[in-house]
Amino acid sequence: MKKLLEISLGVVTSVGGFLEVGSMATAAQAGALFGFQLIWAVVLGTICIIFLVEMAGRFAAVSHHTIADGIRERFGFNAFIWPLLAVLLVNFLVLSAEIGGVAIAAELATGISFQWWALPVAFLAWLLLWKGTFGLIEKGVSMLGLVTLCFVVAAVMLRPEWKEVAVGAAPSLPHHDTAKYWFMAVSILGASISPYLFMFYSSGAIEDQWDKSYLGTNRAIAGLGMSFGGTISVGVLIVAALVLGAHGVTEVDDYNQLPLMLIPIFGFWGFVLFVASLAIACFGAALEVALQQAYLVAQGFGWNWGEDLKPRDDPGFSLVYTLTLFLAAVPIALGLDPLKLTIFSMALTAASLPLTVVPFLFLLNDDRYVGEHRNGVVSNAAVIFVIALGFVLAVVSIPLQIFGGT
Amino acid sequence: MQLLRDMLDKQVVDREQVKIGKVDSIVAELKPGKPPRVSAVELGSIALARRLGSTPAGWTAKLAARLSGKQQARPHRIAWNKVRDIGVDIEFDIDVRRTRIFAWQDWLREHVVGRIPGA
Repeated sequence: MKKLLEISLGVVTSVGGFLEVGSMATAAQAGALFGFQLIWAVVLGTICIIFLVEMAGRFAAVSHHTIADGIRERFGFNAFIWPLLAVLLVNFLVLSAEIGGVAIAAELATGISFQWWALPVAFLAWLLLWKGTFGLIEKGVSMLGLVTLCFVVAAVMLRPEWKEVAVGAAPSLPHHDTAKYWFMAVSILGASISPYLFMFYSSGAIEDQWDKSYLGTNRAIAGLGMSFGGTISVGVLIVAALVLGAHGVTEVDDYNQLPLMLIPIFGFWGFVLFVASLAIACFGAALEVALQQAYLVAQGFGWNWGEDLKPRDDPGFSLVYTLTLFLAAVPIALGLDPLKLTIFSMALTAASLPLTVVPFLFLLNDDRYVGEHRNGVVSNAAVIFVIALGFVLAVVSIPLQIFGGT
Repeated sequence: MQLLRDMLDKQVVDREQVKIGKVDSIVAELKPGKPPRVSAVELGSIALARRLGSTPAGWTAKLAARLSGKQQARPHRIAWNKVRDIGVDIEFDIDVRRTRIFAWQDWLREHVVGRIPGA
């Protein structure tokens, strides 16, 4: 019973981590412009992240190391510094985008421009991290994230041709806007396979003191949680395809177009649900990314860390998330377009993948860390696939950004 | 045990299990006619910067000397004979509060973090 509760909490938490401004914006853009054709990218991204999250959890539960600890210890500081810098940069941009997402939701709700909301949002997130515990953040905020299920409900109520949805789940070549099509595919993959997601997950496993008895729980949470998150993304894509596409909105280049998505289905409440979903999903992600930034620095340099400690007991750790949050709010407060930043940071995430995923291949096959729980053939095949995909994405994402970006 | 593989970059904790840093470098003693002997481990930004090359090492040492005085411009050393346990972390029989390792965190606590309400 306790395990069942833990699994359901974990699943809810992973949904909170999975669905954020990146997955919502990329799925909505893809749906509006290409109908169901890019569903395969969401499905592929979800399968990849299931494997990586399962491995991150297994590594933490068996070796009692987080992924960041493991990379530094196994490869040495001179190698660790590259993923460290890359993830710090990517996290910073993603955090800025998430703050932008909440600020846009606040603008939609109040009519006051999003720029004014950036600093208050950062302050609220900071206050929760400063005073809250890991349990509060993990469980409380992600419970609220269940509101995003409204996209799945909406997608079903729209009665899509399920046969066409299934066809979209298989990759196919675009009939128009080729560069944009591939850029969207890259952004969707970047939004699904986020390094912060699996690194945060391994830190969480250490915070919750997982050991080998959690391996089954870990597998269930990784599989169910990420599939659940992926399903909601597909829901967003279907709704965008059927509502935005049908209303002639093919180019989502402004957040103000997005709330239209749910109005034909739920009327005024559709607007409320959209704003709530955007605000909660982005706020939850902002908390996780800010915390992950502090985890990464503290773990990389061996400082004391833990969200349950009082800030005065880990001043270095607390200062990192404090500075990160407020600095990340600055570009939004200065008026940088959150939607553009989101799409850009998702493509950059995809480009950074090789640096964080290559170490998995070594860490998860190293007897000294995972012993008998090392990767099997299937998991290793999955990692090699993600690495290959990561290299392709790293090479193509910058040119595609130039030719297919918005 | 292989020094570089199994020691370098491992988490260091004190006798109260407080995380105090990573093994940023290893100090070995060379005496004529005898095999090299590990005498200490080093922690801190200066030791770390030395591994990246002489330019970062020079900058970090200068910065440390400016921020906290000449005596801080050396890495923190923990004698190898204080080692108590090598497992997931390396435990040394010391009390971090009686070293200078956390001087910067103490400074932060006193001057920045402690001044924010609710810390």
